[in-house]
Amino acid sequence: MNGIFNPIVFYPSAVLMILFAVLAIKFKNIFYSLLSAIVVFFLAGFLFYVLGAEYNAVIQIAIYGVAVPVILGLAVMFTDLKKEDKTTSNKNSFYKILLLIFSIIFVFSLLFVISPYTFDYNFSNSVNSYDVISIFGEKLFKKYVLAFEFVSILLTMIIVGLILIKKDSKDFESEELCKK
Amino acid sequence: MQEITMLHYLFISMILFVIGILGIIFSKHVIKVLISIEFILTAVNLNFITFATFLDNANFEGYILSLFYVAIGAVELAVALYIFYLMYDKKKSENLDKYGDL
Repeated sequence: MNGIFNPIVFYPSAVLMILFAVLAIKFKNIFYSLLSAIVVFFLAGFLFYVLGAEYNAVIQIAIYGVAVPVILGLAVMFTDLKKEDKTTSNKNSFYKILLLIFSIIFVFSLLFVISPYTFDYNFSNSVNSYDVISIFGEKLFKKYVLAFEFVSILLTMIIVGLILIKKDSKDFESEELCKK
Repeated sequence: MQEITMLHYLFISMILFVIGILGIIFSKHVIKVLISIEFILTAVNLNFITFATFLDNANFEGYILSLFYVAIGAVELAVALYIFYLMYDKKKSENLDKYGDL
């Protein structure tokens, strides 16, 4: 049996992923929720690998599994860890209930869409018989080269923009100090 | 035991998506909200890859879109963390209720 259709591969990883995702939201300590999120991202990478997307699995583990938690951990270090996360405030509870109702409707509509009555699941599978990486590279540098360049420009813009905002705020602070 | 189909992968990504939405609605900590957004992005990536593997006959378009989504997610995280850093400098709190004057 191929790994993609194998219940012994799928069910444990799926159940663990959902369990750790819930724990990441439920934990009071932010470091514990960060660690749970790392497990979720690694298991998602594993599911990508099972689905035949090896390159995406590597990207998922390298960026979401390692780089993003490191950045989030650095951000957590700025904050005061002794203060508890107050998740039970009554402020804006009307909007919360409204959002909850909308999300329940959304879940049911998603269930309706992916149910076998509305979606045709009788198709031919094309599982991993090709060299995925070479097709990936060919598509990325031929068909999607413009989008690829746009993403690289966007990343450069973000880096330059964040540096400029920091510079502006520093100039503003020094002007305020001079006025005083 | 029943064989795994595309429906199973879509269902698991839907549950992850819903956990992300509930995390955004119910948590007050900024970092937890960002983690929930990353869960949503991961669920969307899982959807892309599932559709590409099962339906897209050896074209793998979903894999490429998933890669772009990862890049956009990284950009979003960088900007959000920078805004959080600036706001935390002023408010000295990570509670989202105090960030009303953004």
